[in-house]
Amino acid sequence: MVLVLALGDLHIPHRAPDLPAKFKSMLVPGKIQHVVCTGNLCIKEVHDYLKTVCPDLHITRGEYDEETRYPETKILTIGQFKLGICHGHQVIPWGDLDSLAMLQRQLDVDILVTGHTHQFTAYKHEAGVVINPGSATGAYSGITYDVNPSFVLMDIDGLRVVVYVYELIDGEVKVDKIDFKKTTAPTNSTL
Amino acid sequence: MNYLIGAFKPACHIAVTFSDGKTRKQVPLKKENGQVVMVPLFHSQENIAGKISIEPVSGKKVEHNGIKVELLGQIEMYFDRNNFYDFTSLVRELDVPGEIYERKTYPFEFSTVEMPYETYNGVNVRLRYVLKVTISRGYAGSIVEYQDFVVRNYSPPPPINNSIKMEVGIEDCLHIEFEYNKSKYHLKDVIIGKIYFLLVRIKIKNMDLEIRRRESTGSGPNTHVETETLAKFELMDGAPVRGESIPIRLFLSPYELTPTYRNINNKFSVKYYLNLVLVDEEDRRYFKQQEVTIYRAESS
Amino acid sequence: MHAVTEDEEKWLAAGITGLQQNAFYMHRALDSNNLKDALKYSAQMLSELRTSRLSPQKYYELYMRAFDELRKLEMFFREETKRGCSVVELYELVQHAGNILPRLYLLCTVGSVYIKSKEAPAKDILKDLVEMSRGIQHPLRGLFLRSYLSQVSRDKLPDLGSEYEGDADTVSDAVEFVLQNFTEMNKLWVRMQHQGPAREKEKREKERSELRDLVGKNLHVLSQIEGVDLDMYRETVLPRILEQVVNCKDEIAQGYLMDCIIQVFPDEYHLQTLETLLGAFPQLQPSVDIKMVLSRLMERLSNYAASSADVLPEFFQVEAFAKLSSAISKVIEAQDDMPVFGVVTLYSSLLTFTLQVHPDRLDYVDQILGACVKKLSGKGKLEDNKSRKQIVALLSAPLEKYNDIDTALKLSNYPNVMEYLDDGTKKEMASVIIQSIMKNKSLISTSEKVEALFELIKGLIKDLEENLLELDEEDFHEEQNSVARLIQMLHNDDPEEMLKIITTVKKHILTGGAKRLPFTVPPLIFNSLKLIRRLQNQEETVADEDASATPRKIFQLLNQIIEALSSVPKPELALRLYLQCAEAADDCDLEPVAYEFFTQAYLLYEEEISDSKSQVTAMHLIIGTLQRMHVFGVENRDTLTHKATGYSAKLLKKPDQCRAVYACSHLFWVDDQDSIKDGERVLLCLKRALRIANAVQQMANATRGSSGSVLLFIEILNKYLYFFEKGVTQITVASVQSLIELITNEMQGENSTSDPTADAFFASTLRFIQFQKDKGGAVGERYEAIKL
Repeated sequence: MVLVLALGDLHIPHRAPDLPAKFKSMLVPGKIQHVVCTGNLCIKEVHDYLKTVCPDLHITRGEYDEETRYPETKILTIGQFKLGICHGHQVIPWGDLDSLAMLQRQLDVDILVTGHTHQFTAYKHEAGVVINPGSATGAYSGITYDVNPSFVLMDIDGLRVVVYVYELIDGEVKVDKIDFKKTTAPTNSTL
Repeated sequence: MNYLIGAFKPACHIAVTFSDGKTRKQVPLKKENGQVVMVPLFHSQENIAGKISIEPVSGKKVEHNGIKVELLGQIEMYFDRNNFYDFTSLVRELDVPGEIYERKTYPFEFSTVEMPYETYNGVNVRLRYVLKVTISRGYAGSIVEYQDFVVRNYSPPPPINNSIKMEVGIEDCLHIEFEYNKSKYHLKDVIIGKIYFLLVRIKIKNMDLEIRRRESTGSGPNTHVETETLAKFELMDGAPVRGESIPIRLFLSPYELTPTYRNINNKFSVKYYLNLVLVDEEDRRYFKQQEVTIYRAESS
Repeated sequence: MHAVTEDEEKWLAAGITGLQQNAFYMHRALDSNNLKDALKYSAQMLSELRTSRLSPQKYYELYMRAFDELRKLEMFFREETKRGCSVVELYELVQHAGNILPRLYLLCTVGSVYIKSKEAPAKDILKDLVEMSRGIQHPLRGLFLRSYLSQVSRDKLPDLGSEYEGDADTVSDAVEFVLQNFTEMNKLWVRMQHQGPAREKEKREKERSELRDLVGKNLHVLSQIEGVDLDMYRETVLPRILEQVVNCKDEIAQGYLMDCIIQVFPDEYHLQTLETLLGAFPQLQPSVDIKMVLSRLMERLSNYAASSADVLPEFFQVEAFAKLSSAISKVIEAQDDMPVFGVVTLYSSLLTFTLQVHPDRLDYVDQILGACVKKLSGKGKLEDNKSRKQIVALLSAPLEKYNDIDTALKLSNYPNVMEYLDDGTKKEMASVIIQSIMKNKSLISTSEKVEALFELIKGLIKDLEENLLELDEEDFHEEQNSVARLIQMLHNDDPEEMLKIITTVKKHILTGGAKRLPFTVPPLIFNSLKLIRRLQNQEETVADEDASATPRKIFQLLNQIIEALSSVPKPELALRLYLQCAEAADDCDLEPVAYEFFTQAYLLYEEEISDSKSQVTAMHLIIGTLQRMHVFGVENRDTLTHKATGYSAKLLKKPDQCRAVYACSHLFWVDDQDSIKDGERVLLCLKRALRIANAVQQMANATRGSSGSVLLFIEILNKYLYFFEKGVTQITVASVQSLIELITNEMQGENSTSDPTADAFFASTLRFIQFQKDKGGAVGERYEAIKL
């Protein structure tokens, strides 16, 4: 059982002062094995904080990130799954699932984690799963109205991944979960 | 003890016993040779009675010209040795001339003897009371036996006994006010008082209270004065400041004091002084001497 | 000096030897019940304590040994009295000793037995002992003797409930004894200051310091006397102690004893005697560190107040605040040359006290700050670190207490105090304030409060002086980021008020200069965008004609604010913000406003953004934003689209060009806008993209002699499929088919370099096609025609 935290679009300090306290208290160091972050942190302090939650941190560049050297995309293998990360402002139209599927095919990953829209989605199509963890701070978005703070925790176990989404709605943390099973063996292509 | 003049062996034993010898208080008396003996204590106007027993030694009979006992009060000046001045002399004839061939006891009595002065052993003078038994003999020499006794007299508490209070000092250096609660103290009394510092500009190390005895003998150009410090009692350790009041409590009982003797028979005086001494850091001494009267009080 | 200590060791050793020798003989006498000899040898033993040669520490060593021996002697005395020896006689007997110091030690020892025997009232014996002790006027010896007296008498005081309790006035007697001993000890202790040569003053003061607890112990004893209740403390004990403290006119004694009083007696007593206690302070020597003592007093009282709520009414009843406040003013007035640090410490302690006892009395708090300002005025900016730290502590206290910046902002003197800080400390304080706000998550809700707040933190907002020390870059970033976070905490639900807040913030941040604008502008922009969105939601409610909070007006404001970034310059950031505003204007259906924002963005792109990578990202944002716009009329849209495609085709690197151009294809086909479904133009874009991809291939052939990657083709293929699936008629099966063939040929060609990424991509693309075919239904039918 491998826990992977997926979050992004915090937009600290441009659009939000900090992670919600309730989220912070849940993100206890040492419990999570990997963190994937879609970008738009935006400052080093947030990077450092995420490092304390888990040292295995993977970030891609969002258009407001202070650090311009984060990669545009990143691929990593966790257990039986290949994960791809990309902020998503590069995929036009923004939030378009078919275009995101194209990216997924291009990166050849089972799970594509992407952001930019600040809207939580988890979508399965023939090539795999596209997950958008939303905005961890509920930051303002030109694309999505009424953003609730949210993040995703993936529990990867063999060929199965359970996606838990945590949303802060009216001050309370609500949890939902979605199950995905990988039906095909992993592809042999490597970078 | 036999006192012999020119003979080697005593002809007889003479013993003086007092009729109340068992009950009468005995006090130590230091003899000239340094020995200390216990002798009866009498007060003036008391009866001195007893027995004198004479026993010839080794059976030899003693022929005499008469036996008498004298009660003597004597003052002896040491610079005038063996010059006894008898201020009191009483005599009782014990026997007419005769023979003593076996122990013979003679009672004697001196009634209501005036003994106004106390026995005193001083530096230059001595006052003693003694019973002198004399067996008169002609050419053989008289046989004399002495028996000392001590006389002490009590005084009533003085009707007036003012405290001594004085302010003394050295201008710009030291002003003190001392106070002793009485001017007359009995032998077992305690001197209570205080020293109050009005001005202190010298660095005082400590303060003592001395008791000094001044014995003066003789008169006119022949006056000898002997001063002895009998007690040195520390009153204060360290330097006081203006306004300090140091208490005095000096018990007289531990010290060998006698009552004040004024002009005893015009021969000598013994006076007592309290000497307050302040010593400074450079061991300079500042003192104030003050006479006090010592008396003997009835309650022991 | 070294020789002196060596000698001292010698003398101490000699003293100990002498003491031990006499103790030996004394013990022999004790064992054989020989009282006379016991007294003789004990007196000789005690004579060792008459020495003047030892320093306090060494003397103490000697004293302790004597003390131990005297305990045994006391036991012997006690046995003797049980055996029939009269204690009264014994009491007299020991007074026969010629030297006063041994005499008094013995007297105290017998005195102890005497009291225990109860043959005389304890008070009489104690009185005698404390009086007779006057005989020792030597400070060191006197202190130790009286300390001995205190020690042996401690458990024998005629206290209430003790077995030595006397008649009606018994407690007074006990108190009187201790007070007297204390007074005499203090006099002796003070006297030490003036003994000896002037050059040894420091040594003397050190020695005095070693002895101080001997004096202070008396106060402790007083505090332990059961019978000393508040009344007795108030009527007798405190006044007498204070009398001695004031009259001794000794700085060391005063400082120590005032502190002792405060530490040793209960806080309740201090409260009830506050006036008396405080009244003593102005009478103390000017060199006494009063502020330390006063601060300690206030600290204790603060803790007392914190201990329980029941206690607070007492504070009100005795008017503690008024008294303390008045006392402090008097002290500060009297000590004109008190250093600033001292003044601030005093006020700081008073403030802590006030916050604890009267948290609701903001007027008190403000009063204290005002008094502080008054005292600081005329001194200019504070120079020393200690003072600065103290002022930061002073100003932080209300923040910590109230957990709410609003309250601190109500303190009119708060900014006045800050004025006296140097710029560095002003910034430090500003950070403290911001941290407090962030910690408490308090929202600041009016423009007045914002104005006041920004005044306070102006050290962070702008350069205060011409020549500022350069701040470490990381620190500066942290600082400015904290300001950015702060801006997020400014909020009011009422749009009018919120707009006022935004205007106020704008005014302040525009003074920040080029360094700060990149940090402060974005949060303000987004706050404003949030406001606009709120206004949109409220559109149901009637918009007030005269209201200034309209989206249009806010967009004007936004334009001005983003404009300011040109002075930095920060074109990339400005471009992003313009596009965000355009999006928001689009939501508000304000076409001209949206168009204006796009124009500004394009201007920046053309003139300011020249780095290739930046251009690529900029294009993504432009195309992405434009793609979503629905407010533009045909003309405006065409203009913007045309320009966008133009920019795309002119990107530096051909692959980037290709990708940007095919991205532009989406500009001509928007699913939810029927007016934007131009298949012709879509195809044109895709074809253009193909041409560019070809050119890339040819260049690769030319330079490397082998064909380049087919990746771009595959990407374009995917785009073909996208539009094909959407039903764009101009995207024919044939075109898709030929593209697949092209790719296949290229990949299998002789000159092809293998690219695993491309292979995988192509494979998954083909899989996708198959998957779609297998779906069946309308989709399956569509894909049917494509042959794999």
